[in-house]
Amino acid sequence: MSDSPESARARVWRALLRKRRAVFGLAVIAALGVLAVAADLIANDKPYYMKLDGVSYYPIAIDYGVWLGARQWPEPLVNQRFAELAERAEVAYWPPIPYSATVPDIRGEVFEPPSRAHWLGTDGLGRDVAAGMLHGIRISLTIGFVVVAIQASIGIAFGGLAGYYGGVVDLALSRLFELMLGVPTFFLILTVAASFPPSIYLIMAILGLTGWVGIARLIRGEFLKVRAMDYIAAAQSLGASDARIMFRHVLPNAIAPVLVSMSFGVASAILTESGLSFLGIGVPAQLVTWGSILSVAQSNTTAWWLAVFPGAAIFLTVTAYNLLGDGLRDALDPREQGT
Amino acid sequence: MSGAMLAYAARRIALFVPTFVASTFLAFAIMHLAPGDPVEFMLSGGAAAGQTGISTQKLADAERAKADLRRELGLDRPIAVQYARWLRGFATGDLGRSLKDRQSVWRKIRERLPVTVGIDLLALFVTYLLAVPLGIYSAVRPGSRFDQVSTAVIFGLYSLPSFWIGVLLIVFFGGGDYFAWFPPGGLHSVGYDPEWPLGRRLAELAHHLALPLFVTTLGSYTEISRYLRSSMLENARQDFVRTARAKGVPERSVILRHMLRNSLIPMVTILAGVLPGLIGGSVLIENIFSIPGLGQLGYQAVLARDYPVVLALFAAAVGLTQLGILVADLLLALVDPRITFAGTNA
Amino acid sequence: MRRPGARAVCIALSTLVAACGGPKERKSGEPAAPLAGATAESQAARNVGPPVRGDWLVMHATADPESLNPLTSNDAGAAAVLQWIFPPLIRVDPATLELAPSIAKALPQISPDHLVYEYTLREDVTYSDGKPVTAEDVVFALKASRHPRVNAPHVRNYFESVADATATGPYTVRIQLSQPYFMNDYVLGGISPLPRHYYDPENLLDGISVAELNKYDELPPDKKDRADRFAKQFNENYNRNPLGSGALVLENPARDYVTGEKVELRRRESWASGHPELGDPWVDRFVYRVFTDYDAALVALKAGTVDVMGLRPVQYLKQTNDAKFAERIEKHVDLAGSFTYIGWNERRPIFRDKRLRQALSYLVDKKNICEKVMLGLADPVESPIYPRRPEFDKNLAPWPFDPAKAKALLAEAGWSDSDGDGVLDHDDGNGGRTPLRFEILSNSGNDDRRNLGLVVIDEFKRAGIDASFRAVDWSIMLEKVKAFDYDAVILGWTSSGAQPPDLYQIWHSSMAVPGGSNHISYKNDEVDRLLTEYRTEFDPAKRKQMYDRVQEILYDDQPYTFVYAPKSLVAYDKRFLGVTWYPTGGSNEAEWWVPTGSQKYH
Repeated sequence: MSDSPESARARVWRALLRKRRAVFGLAVIAALGVLAVAADLIANDKPYYMKLDGVSYYPIAIDYGVWLGARQWPEPLVNQRFAELAERAEVAYWPPIPYSATVPDIRGEVFEPPSRAHWLGTDGLGRDVAAGMLHGIRISLTIGFVVVAIQASIGIAFGGLAGYYGGVVDLALSRLFELMLGVPTFFLILTVAASFPPSIYLIMAILGLTGWVGIARLIRGEFLKVRAMDYIAAAQSLGASDARIMFRHVLPNAIAPVLVSMSFGVASAILTESGLSFLGIGVPAQLVTWGSILSVAQSNTTAWWLAVFPGAAIFLTVTAYNLLGDGLRDALDPREQGT
Repeated sequence: MSGAMLAYAARRIALFVPTFVASTFLAFAIMHLAPGDPVEFMLSGGAAAGQTGISTQKLADAERAKADLRRELGLDRPIAVQYARWLRGFATGDLGRSLKDRQSVWRKIRERLPVTVGIDLLALFVTYLLAVPLGIYSAVRPGSRFDQVSTAVIFGLYSLPSFWIGVLLIVFFGGGDYFAWFPPGGLHSVGYDPEWPLGRRLAELAHHLALPLFVTTLGSYTEISRYLRSSMLENARQDFVRTARAKGVPERSVILRHMLRNSLIPMVTILAGVLPGLIGGSVLIENIFSIPGLGQLGYQAVLARDYPVVLALFAAAVGLTQLGILVADLLLALVDPRITFAGTNA
Repeated sequence: MRRPGARAVCIALSTLVAACGGPKERKSGEPAAPLAGATAESQAARNVGPPVRGDWLVMHATADPESLNPLTSNDAGAAAVLQWIFPPLIRVDPATLELAPSIAKALPQISPDHLVYEYTLREDVTYSDGKPVTAEDVVFALKASRHPRVNAPHVRNYFESVADATATGPYTVRIQLSQPYFMNDYVLGGISPLPRHYYDPENLLDGISVAELNKYDELPPDKKDRADRFAKQFNENYNRNPLGSGALVLENPARDYVTGEKVELRRRESWASGHPELGDPWVDRFVYRVFTDYDAALVALKAGTVDVMGLRPVQYLKQTNDAKFAERIEKHVDLAGSFTYIGWNERRPIFRDKRLRQALSYLVDKKNICEKVMLGLADPVESPIYPRRPEFDKNLAPWPFDPAKAKALLAEAGWSDSDGDGVLDHDDGNGGRTPLRFEILSNSGNDDRRNLGLVVIDEFKRAGIDASFRAVDWSIMLEKVKAFDYDAVILGWTSSGAQPPDLYQIWHSSMAVPGGSNHISYKNDEVDRLLTEYRTEFDPAKRKQMYDRVQEILYDDQPYTFVYAPKSLVAYDKRFLGVTWYPTGGSNEAEWWVPTGSQKYH
């Protein structure tokens, strides 16, 4: 087993692609990613192009420019509602969903069920749910991915160390695990939310830094089991370093429950964000996330569209990650790779 | 258990106390760092209400009263001193008094403990009852129609928000416009009388707990059954399984004795989280079903900065966590004799 | 002891707790005369024969009371329950808004200088343990209220002008005040006697007068020790077992006050028997049943598990309209007595300019907010006074939504977009320009306030104002408000219809101190003067004039942008008759009764 890391990775990748369900999961995640990036072009309360009083404008592009700090809004467009401007305009080309995710609209109806004008309905402030869901993909995906990545990195590192070395190291690290389990996450978030301006990055950091213990313990359990096996002794006798043994030999076998755990971690992170949005903690109030839409659903059960669509989105995302995790587990199995 | 195992257990137990103290002190410190003053909260509940006139002098008096109360409750001392006081009380079994209503903390917890523990235990039982066979069957026939359908179903259940399901269940089955199969919440009906015979009281309880229990368990089937399935699938490829099959061991025995046994390790690890989970109530579910449990108690206490109550719940959680982890570790060793906790000479 | 403003709180929060109200002077058997504010439908349809006893009234509560201590308990749920156990000396007739006797035989004798009030008690009033109510109990109630170590600073402040109180006879009390205040009629009338034999069994407060408790620090050591011990046991031992003189009793706390589930009061034969206006109900029990979730509560209402609840707007509009519902359950809409506002912190220099505040108010579309955000179940407000009060100024025109006018005012106040970034700015006096940027704060968990915040900042943005909105939890909110650490805040006040308003605490400049209610630090000399004079003005007509002027000034100054007053929405089982809705916006549940044939509980 003296292959270079590159071809090992390629083998895993090929094995993964052979699994239909894993491919499906990957496809969904990729699609979500694309939608997240393109959200501004699909759902926006500004048109792609508008000709007003003989002058041509590209409002969405201008918006990006302003956001980057590279320019300012031209006089006729500044602080305007484009829907109003478009009535006077000679030409206007709109995105398929001509609404913003976050701008309230109480001149029209609120709590509208899905209709031709609003494909997924509106919430209590007249905001289009489809737009909110699209822009919410960014937040949900990011939170899920980042939080779990942090948790996995720390968890695998500590858990691996504890499980591989045992003895004093295990004793000490396990105490750390217990300590971390006792940390009051809610209070921590409360403290941070009060001391700093609300930001999801802070929330992600806290969730990541406090939630790695489950993974650590899983890895620890697996390492404890595996390290007594023959092939480990064989590798050791061949003079392989600890790190190499841990990463090349033990980890791929121990990773299975962690992958499963990670995919659930994503869903958990998204659902936690929903709870935090509901409590108004840490997430800016203007932000529309799947969780914030769900929280409105809780007090307005007749507005079924506010619960079904975010729920379906979470379902899809969780399933996708899970299938991917499943596939990864299979692909990492040495038997699959044909050695 | 071998001598080495006993020695290990003894060492772990000896470490309980320092870990416990460190853990609770950390929690305590973080709690106090959070802005918000319990005295202000306690005495300003009516702050939103318009009140009749008061002079500046008397306002200063009110502030003095608050300061006095803080002193009386020991809230003006440095954190370490406050913690030491609490610890001393805890060691002698005195959990102190709630800041909100001066009731004994133990009393407040005790009246909600049976409800939460009861629900959690039942939920655990039901979950394992259903999830383990599900996981095994899915692993034995991966990719089958059953596997695919059941996977889709339990993922669906997991992804749908529990509060939404809870509310829907109440709306459709809790009386009102549709079916009146279950009560809309609470633990007892309006005419409940503690004098009723045990059978009737148990039936009442079962009737009231059916929906909350269902909702509580919804998300947990997924985790358990998927872990088990994934673990078993992995073991299915192991050599020892092929060997057993080659030796002619009956399939059922292969599954249950060999594969299952090795797949139990992640299960056992999860079990460690079960013990502290027993006293953790879900705030959302308790809220929807109007169940007076520890989840609500803890949440309200956090919002009101009711330190004694929050600390008591923390302490219990920390203690149970440690216990749970120890039990899980010992079980681990029991399940797989190859595991030892001795250090490697790497 | 009647919680100060208990009526205020419970009336205002009648969307959360079953509506409550005051008793009405009526000779039994006589049909009620039509009253202003009482709907004709509720009058005519309900007069079917004389009331009968029986049945229970099950009311929805979102949470059980934290404590039922008559002085230290601080939540609205408790106030609703305690009013039945602790009737006052003098009550307010909810139909006429006049004072009428309750435990006191008659209205008090008041000295010409308004500094001495003498009450004579009825001689037939007893506590639920049978012991008689005496003048000493009234004095005791005041002692406990003024005691600084009893955890009830708001109660203590409520009685701040009480200098001393003595029992001049077994049934006569003399209360000495340190300053005249026209509200003392209500303040002192609201006192409920506390059974000394129960709340102070060791007679710790004997020999210590109210006057001495007012100067607590000067007490000699032995008295102070006894007083401290009293406070400790009062704070700790009486939170679940109230004992009062009302017609309703918490008979067995272990059985009837179940955490997170219910509080059950049972009727006893008493001095008030036959008089619902004195708090004697026709039904046998009041049960406050806890359903923490509103949807579950509505289902309980439809299933018949609860008889009355306060509805949420969505429930009122969308979920309670079918025929089956209408057959069994009646809905009622009324004024609630609370209002929501945006407060502009005048410790921030920009908000000291009246023109900016007015401009901001022109940018708040109150009408649309009431219709869309509050689903039509709120009214725009321009004044802090309850609309049905005589002191309310009817001549204030609704503040219009007028972005053009706002722009003009902003320009006049020196705001312009000098750098073309879309945000207005003005000269900061040091040669630079500061942008018009601020943050609006509110408490989390309140959807309505959050929605208001988001709608408002969007409209501000259109006008070039860079406003943001943040929700923080209540504990933190209290801290920030106390420290004046905010730019603008969305909060609310409740006001009672039953009592005359006193705007002193919220609007007088001396209250702009940490912990005071004038947290926006508003200061207007004329308003200050009027608010002070009002308190010692005993002629209602003159008081109205003063407050008309105050409302005029507040309207012009816009220290708050007054936004809306939510309506109270109540649904109750039709089997209950005798349900009358008073101008105060509430109803007296003691008057509700059920004909024998329709009774449900026995």
